[in-house]
Amino acid sequence: MTKASVLDGIGTLLRVGLAAVWLVSGWIKVSDPNQTFIAVQAYDLLPSALVSVVAAAMPFLELALGVLLLVGLGTRLSAALSILVLLAFIGAVAQSWARGLSIDCGCFGGGGPVAEGQTKYPQEIARDLGFLALAVWLTIRPRTWLSVDGRFGARSSVEETS
Amino acid sequence: MGGAERSARKRKQQGSAPAAGAKAVAAARSGGGDRSKVILAVVAVLVIAGAVIGGVIYTNNQKNATKDKAIAVQTVQLDVPVKRDGGVVVVGQDGAKATLDIYEDFLCPACASFEEGFGPKIEEKVKDGSLKVRFHLLNLLNNRSDPEGYSTDSANAALLAADEGKFLSFHKSLFKDQPAEGARGWTKDQLIELGKAVGVTSQAFVDGVRSGKYDALVSEEYQKARADEALQQDFNGQKGFGTPTLASGGKAIDTEDPNWLAKLTG
Repeated sequence: MTKASVLDGIGTLLRVGLAAVWLVSGWIKVSDPNQTFIAVQAYDLLPSALVSVVAAAMPFLELALGVLLLVGLGTRLSAALSILVLLAFIGAVAQSWARGLSIDCGCFGGGGPVAEGQTKYPQEIARDLGFLALAVWLTIRPRTWLSVDGRFGARSSVEETS
Repeated sequence: MGGAERSARKRKQQGSAPAAGAKAVAAARSGGGDRSKVILAVVAVLVIAGAVIGGVIYTNNQKNATKDKAIAVQTVQLDVPVKRDGGVVVVGQDGAKATLDIYEDFLCPACASFEEGFGPKIEEKVKDGSLKVRFHLLNLLNNRSDPEGYSTDSANAALLAADEGKFLSFHKSLFKDQPAEGARGWTKDQLIELGKAVGVTSQAFVDGVRSGKYDALVSEEYQKARADEALQQDFNGQKGFGTPTLASGGKAIDTEDPNWLAKLTG
């Protein structure tokens, strides 16, 4: 087994892992749009009209990223977009922490105000940083096994290895 | 084409010949890999855009459950005095033994369950003259509807309905047919329609709902309640004000005790 194919294998696992993260978190949010609205509202960042749009769009963006990563279509693009979304999440949680808000991030459902002392900002940020690492890997090195990209687009990548 | 130009072109062709050749070979070998990559990227972008746009439309439909509907009317037949005292609605005989202060928000689900469970019992006590109730309608959850503002709109409308003596039916209807938190509330027009359905006839009610006549009173009442230490309760180990809160003589009542109402009215 060459070094490249080991890296491809690792990349494949990371790709499926990140896909699972997006699919699960997106699905939970899609299932309860009202709760998602409350969760976005709790960050106290956006004007009311934008809260509504962001709360409606974000779960579906997550699902789309999950599906694309799962099948390996546009892996680099999806991973790069994942980085942006995760940075936005980390920024949102960090500002809540810095401003002393008492909220749940609503990362995987739930969300909204919680009692003081019930916040989990460090854990939430650490978790997102972990996901961010997956996205960074896939952006730098999007080549993986069992991907649509590999099947249809990246025959030139076969050439690279030869 | 002039001679100088031709020779320049020739030079250029010669200069780039090896590179162009290599490119052509690469393209032939990769079967148009670059083009496929572009197509895949375009497909990916379309998937994302489609999901987001479709998702926003879908979600907005989901959240508009209260659109194009009328608020179901509940009628309360209770022949007792109802009057508005600032931002408070006072229901019951003046000589009642006990006075109960109820702090609630029309968007608060726990308030709806409270009304469902205790509403009829409280009505009974009011009817037999042993209890007077002071309803404080607050806008604690004002930003919890989408678009925000339902808590204030509904509390304002309820105060206006009290001016017309139709508070009890209006109040009961709003709790029975409560919009979900995070979703679209009832609009002012729908609140006005409910007013008409419970028998409010005046133009003052319609104008008052539209202009938010008592909005400031509602906010004031909420700030007063929130700042009142005696009304604070324990929420998972943290003291704070929430709805519903029941109080008597300015002190919060512990509703964990199932006999709180009987104890109050004696």
